Amino acid sequence: MRARTRLILTFLFPASLLYIVFFIYPALRALYTSFFDWSGFSDNARFTGLDNYRQLYRDDLFIESMSNTLTILIAGGIIVFGLAFALTILLNSGIRGRKLFRAVIFLPNIVAVIALTTMWSVAIYHPRFGLLKNGLAYLGLESWSTILFTSPQNIFKSMMAAIIWINVGFYVVLLMAGIDKIPTELYEAAKIDGANQVQMFYKITVPLLWDVITVGIVLWSINALKIFEFPFAFTALEPSPNTYTVAVYLYVMGFGQRTPIYRLGYATAMGVVLVLTVILVVIVLRRVMRREVIQY
Amino acid sequence: MATTTPPTTMALSRRTRGRLQQLVQHVPAYAILILWSAFTLFAIGWIAMSSLKSTRQLFQEPLALPPEPRFENYDIAWNAVDMSRYFLNSVIVVSISVVLILLISAPAAYVLSRIKFRGSNALTTIFTAGMGIPYPLLFIPLFALMLDLHLTNSLPGLILVYVSLSLPFTIYILTGFFITLPSELEDAAVIDGCSDYQVYWKIMLPLASPGMLTAAIFNFIGLWNEYQLALVFANTEKTRTLSLGLYALRNALQYTGDWASLFAGIVIIMVPTVVIYVVLSEKMISGITMGSSK
Repeated sequence: MRARTRLILTFLFPASLLYIVFFIYPALRALYTSFFDWSGFSDNARFTGLDNYRQLYRDDLFIESMSNTLTILIAGGIIVFGLAFALTILLNSGIRGRKLFRAVIFLPNIVAVIALTTMWSVAIYHPRFGLLKNGLAYLGLESWSTILFTSPQNIFKSMMAAIIWINVGFYVVLLMAGIDKIPTELYEAAKIDGANQVQMFYKITVPLLWDVITVGIVLWSINALKIFEFPFAFTALEPSPNTYTVAVYLYVMGFGQRTPIYRLGYATAMGVVLVLTVILVVIVLRRVMRREVIQY
Repeated sequence: MATTTPPTTMALSRRTRGRLQQLVQHVPAYAILILWSAFTLFAIGWIAMSSLKSTRQLFQEPLALPPEPRFENYDIAWNAVDMSRYFLNSVIVVSISVVLILLISAPAAYVLSRIKFRGSNALTTIFTAGMGIPYPLLFIPLFALMLDLHLTNSLPGLILVYVSLSLPFTIYILTGFFITLPSELEDAAVIDGCSDYQVYWKIMLPLASPGMLTAAIFNFIGLWNEYQLALVFANTEKTRTLSLGLYALRNALQYTGDWASLFAGIVIIMVPTVVIYVVLSEKMISGITMGSSK
């Protein structure tokens, strides 16, 4: 028994040490730092209580960043899941080559985000040789082909399209794996009882897939709220305020881009708001999804 | 002898008709799936093709094949910024990190999933909860910590950050995998007088090798493409990884407008993960739901 205790301790020690020092400690430290006005890594921090949070509330750029982040979370989420569901149904409709299609749809997930941002902002949206412009012109949609997809008023929507395209593949894979676990006898029995495709989808697929859907929505929420890389690198040189998310604004405040700002306490307060949002969203989702399951 | 009669032409045509009917029924599904896939493949293929053109050809005839492949673009991409160094940095950082991640996560995941002890469930929850923490929260406090340890803007520092922050996800998928392993072999080994360590090294770890491979692929691809932590912890001329290098290249070529060479840079960063994906995509795809199978 004592040997077993020693095994538990030795096996858990390296992971616990790193996790506590480089993950838990900085996370707690962030909460502490968010109560300070702190401009550098020397000891000039001044305790200001909830001041940083009060300022965030009045900071227009933060509100815009938050609204962009929530737009990605909610509008993006609805579209991503809608498309993922639609493609999953098509893939499971008895066609050939479903694994091949799935592999291609998932492909963007393994490409470096920095390559994908360049691909979209340059290869697809470029106003002269861009694929979208040329594709639209080829289809005879001349008036659409003159749209400037990276202009300040369009850039956020253009970015959303790219983010959706990347993520759909991941959720297709997730949903398909869930559907593959549903026993086919259920569908056969339902067919014998005269159920049609729509009925089978709502009475068998959705309820039995509920756990997978829940995991998927929680994953999407966490990833959408912390989204940084795509908005940061979508525009060259400096991220555009039109595509700021909370994570990008945090980075700009803390580390700056061309012009460092170094408002460390303020930036960290954004991180804390982000975590609180994650926790809130996960709690709400758990409630909502659980109630639905009891209805069945 | 001739118990199997050859299919008559009638039967054949009926079968073909059935198949045709099925195909027609599926036309909308094929159309949409082909459209989606074609867009993805075309966009990536177009970049690869354009990386062999001159920028002037790119502007004049965006959709035409390159008259003759222009490999100078790769030369420019490789040398406009110090790509060979960035490539080497990525190889070093990613391979050492992946090995360390597995060495550290696997024993922890094993103990958490196979050995019952007080608080094991709570501990698993604490470890996996890290997946919900957005990295940006850690940017500043972790940077301050690394500064105290004199590890900012260094490759060992970046490796340390990568390993630590990859633990929650890796432990999550590995516990999901260990839990599915049968306990008979474990019990038999204990009866045969194996120590707990021997059970782990000789029985469980080999059994878990498919799970370990999946975890390794995910971490390799994730870290190879990783960008935000490298930006915070290693964004100097000497320590940049390939992702940061491509970003630097893009900013450098922005002024000259040499898009074709930029596309060559994209191809350089994409090739390793795409090759791994082509070979191991089934392994990866099946791994996505591994952790949630509990």
